[in-house]
Amino acid sequence: MFLRMVKGAIFRQKSKMLMIAFTIALGASLATAMLNVMMDVGDKVNQELKTYGANITVVPQGASLLNELYEVEGGEAPVEQYLQESELGKLKTIFWAFNIVDFAPFMETNAVLPTGETVKAVGTWFDHHMDLPTGEQLDTGVVNLRSWWDVDGAWIDDQANPDIAQVMVGSSVAQAQGLSVGDVLHLNGTAATVDLTVAGIFESGDDEDDELFVPLSVAQALSDRAGLVSSIEVSALTTPDNELARKAAVRGPSSLSKSDYETWYCTAYVSSICYQIQEVITNSVASAVRQVADSEGAILEKTQLLMLLITALSLVGSALGISNLVTASVMERSNEIGLMKAIGAHDGAISGLVLTEIIITAILGGLVGYFAGFGFAQIIGHSVFNASIEMKPMIIPIVAILVILITLLGSIPAIRTLLKLRPTEVLHGR
Amino acid sequence: MKRQKMYFRMVVASLIRRRSRMLVALLAIAIGATILSGLVTIYYDVPRQMGAQFRGYGANMILLPQEENSMDMAAMEAALTHIPAESVSGAAPYRYETIRVNEQPIIIAGTDLQGAVAASPYWMITGELPSASGQALIGKEVASLLGLSVGASFTASYTPAQAETSENGVTQYQTMPFEVTGVLDTGGSEEQYIFLSSQDVEALTGEEGTLDVVQLSVNGSQQELEAYADAINGAVPQLAARLVKRVTQSETTVLTKLQSLVFLVTAVVLVLTMVCVATTMMAVVTERRKEIGLRKALGASNQSIIMEFMGEGLVLGALGGLLGSVLGFGFAQLVSTRVFNSSIRFQGLLVPITILVSVAVTALACLLPVRSATDIEPALVLKGE
Amino acid sequence: MSLLQLNQVSKIYGDLRALDKVSLSVEKGEWVAIMGPSGSGKSTMMNIIGAMDKPSEGEVLLDGRDISKENAKTLTNIRRDKIGLIFQQFHLVNYLTAVENVMVAQYYHSIPDEKEALNALERVGLRDRAKHLPSQLSGGEQQRVCIARALINYPEVILADEPTGNLDEANEGIVLDIFRQLHREGSTLIVVTHDPEVAEVAQRTIVLEHGRIAREVVNENFVP
Repeated sequence: MFLRMVKGAIFRQKSKMLMIAFTIALGASLATAMLNVMMDVGDKVNQELKTYGANITVVPQGASLLNELYEVEGGEAPVEQYLQESELGKLKTIFWAFNIVDFAPFMETNAVLPTGETVKAVGTWFDHHMDLPTGEQLDTGVVNLRSWWDVDGAWIDDQANPDIAQVMVGSSVAQAQGLSVGDVLHLNGTAATVDLTVAGIFESGDDEDDELFVPLSVAQALSDRAGLVSSIEVSALTTPDNELARKAAVRGPSSLSKSDYETWYCTAYVSSICYQIQEVITNSVASAVRQVADSEGAILEKTQLLMLLITALSLVGSALGISNLVTASVMERSNEIGLMKAIGAHDGAISGLVLTEIIITAILGGLVGYFAGFGFAQIIGHSVFNASIEMKPMIIPIVAILVILITLLGSIPAIRTLLKLRPTEVLHGR
Repeated sequence: MKRQKMYFRMVVASLIRRRSRMLVALLAIAIGATILSGLVTIYYDVPRQMGAQFRGYGANMILLPQEENSMDMAAMEAALTHIPAESVSGAAPYRYETIRVNEQPIIIAGTDLQGAVAASPYWMITGELPSASGQALIGKEVASLLGLSVGASFTASYTPAQAETSENGVTQYQTMPFEVTGVLDTGGSEEQYIFLSSQDVEALTGEEGTLDVVQLSVNGSQQELEAYADAINGAVPQLAARLVKRVTQSETTVLTKLQSLVFLVTAVVLVLTMVCVATTMMAVVTERRKEIGLRKALGASNQSIIMEFMGEGLVLGALGGLLGSVLGFGFAQLVSTRVFNSSIRFQGLLVPITILVSVAVTALACLLPVRSATDIEPALVLKGE
Repeated sequence: MSLLQLNQVSKIYGDLRALDKVSLSVEKGEWVAIMGPSGSGKSTMMNIIGAMDKPSEGEVLLDGRDISKENAKTLTNIRRDKIGLIFQQFHLVNYLTAVENVMVAQYYHSIPDEKEALNALERVGLRDRAKHLPSQLSGGEQQRVCIARALINYPEVILADEPTGNLDEANEGIVLDIFRQLHREGSTLIVVTHDPEVAEVAQRTIVLEHGRIAREVVNENFVP
């Protein structure tokens, strides 16, 4: 009989129950969408922040950037140190390999222009294709690491032919030399001479405007340093630094206790990623580019906190909204409840009946809402980040508990108020 | 006159004597209005607040001498007048000279150290920033090259450009002792320099000298920055203002994404909340079908019934909207202080907008069930439970 | 000419003929009771007379005007101007006081006048309960407020649907006394009831069965 009554209430008051279910679905979809977006926003914004370029630089041990100074001062250049190009693939084998988004090797050399001026020629990967030892494939290079360049012409396409004889010219050099796209530039290196076609002229707004960018192998040939690179820039997704990370950065990982070390090593702090890079690249020193790494951390933290608070607001909003409607719809049933009391139903039986109906409605609404909300999250993900929002299974129980709890909280006070009324009062139009 | 009085009497009676229901409705509207005003306030303030965070990336505009030695402090001051003072979060004039320490050539940068830290908040300093004459901040690489650490001292020797070579062929140079108060870690080229105050550089070199570069960290969109740069380039011929593309361009990209994220989230939350408000209002009004039937039986025209409900809706909407404006601003303020450690701008225009939207949503939400109730024959409404 | 005249009125719901070619006329100042068991078509007839429903066939002349084909808006105006309604379930607006409930009818009709509304309550003996809400009034008192509300606009016809159906005997007596008073003052009363005691006090009783007028009884013991 109980079931029959519940069924009767749900099916015969279809429109009313449908409205409750609809509102619950709305609330649940709001909660689902916001929770999904919130939990994924860190990763997504992190990806976006990669437009600032590399946050880790890797140089050979002992190599000092001060080298240049000696050259300027005409002092003796110390023994030069290099990294091995063949080891680059190992970057994708470290513990946090998945977090390494882009990287590019650099080989800097001086070359003499036809006018007799010396210019810095930087050899690198533009859009390099790699087959990794793990069997994966990867396209990486400065196309991603210099996203802010304004390029007149085109990027060098070194994907098909890594030895392509092209050059990208910095805007200052291009202006000084009167170069334009399509021109052929004759370069005199320390070990060889090459003729390169100008593929593009870039404006970067910094010192690189005074440089030439050429394919890595061209720079290696110019200076006779085949298979060697002078530095690597790495762009990695990192976790904002906390106390532990700062401790490791200042005193070195060896100062950490064993468990702290484990935690540090297995968290994507910029310092632990640097440490892991040093483990795989022989004779290397990897250090964080603070300008990028620090700001990234701050912005990530702020964005996540912002989304957290907005999510909290919308959760509270949808919670109040649902419980409010449930209260309204329970109050609306005062007549029915009065009648049931009049024909001898106990308070418990009435509450049970009303609650069962509402919970069934809530579960149906919540289910619909979950999927709708997931859809909303995808819309947000695709239109903002051009990527789908990951489905987090832990959101399902959160939303389920939320919906049931809110529904109960919304209906119980209303039911209690109604039960307190005397049946005659209710039936005689109060 | 009398009719209007009765109208208000009925509306007020309905609002006051049906207290619990009206509270439910008011709460629903207030929630909607809170979310509306809170999120919209945040949406409008996000670029400003987030923009301040992006200043963590350091200088986004640099001033370079137009010709050799053409830029001095006066030129920099002149340039800065073209940027609103409150938008400049840091300005650091740099003058580079080469000195020798233990016969090693090192570049020193003379600057306003406070300004440099403000312009480059990412500087990680072990020890302290020099606060007095004779103190130096040295880059990490310099520290390892010279074997210096915080508290150590070194002697800087400077050879003037037009050095007079004395008769015995020994270069004459000026020397000055310095104490290391801090070591700088940036992961960039700054680690190769020794940073001194401008005054110390003057004392060491004995020349007033000119600036090599000025780094500016300016709050503003790329368009604003371009406008500032154009203004400076037009007005101060001694120097050239350039934007640091890496910072400005990336900031625009990321900030646009963030804003569109907040926009979409706001839109989704708003639409869902407004529908939620509407269903609650509908539930509250649907409950009164019988009353509508009775009024019709008494000879009320549909129009006057709708008018009465709209009157209630107006009061509820306005009250809820007002309440929501206040709560929403409170929420936005909370977010702002929690997330950005700064207070939020009060958007005055948002109050009437919030109230208007609340009234509109409430009215619309009332209208649907009232209309469907008035369409039904009064006899049916009065009979049916 | 009769105040109200029904000519061959039928109301058909699907296969059911709730009213089947009913003809009836009520004179001005007359007190008529309409009786019949449940399902005899009483309520349908009451709705049609009360301008709350339209007949499927036939014509309804109120004050010489055929209202059977009028649209909803005109019917509303007719209800407002010519008919005072009294319901079995009272139907008071539960958040308005007694006097305000009376004033609602004035409000829709013309201009609310609190003094007049209080006088109307005085006539049904509720002057001292004017500021009470319906929930604070007994069933009899609520029905008397309804009567005051029905009277307030001086309607041509007062139409009462089971006015004593929810009342005890004492209150029934009070309500019937008020009806007698109204009749003496010249009001036209149509009372729909299934209670013979209520029907007996009217001048004339029309008995409905299966949607038709089974018989008409003139009450010889009628006390004006």
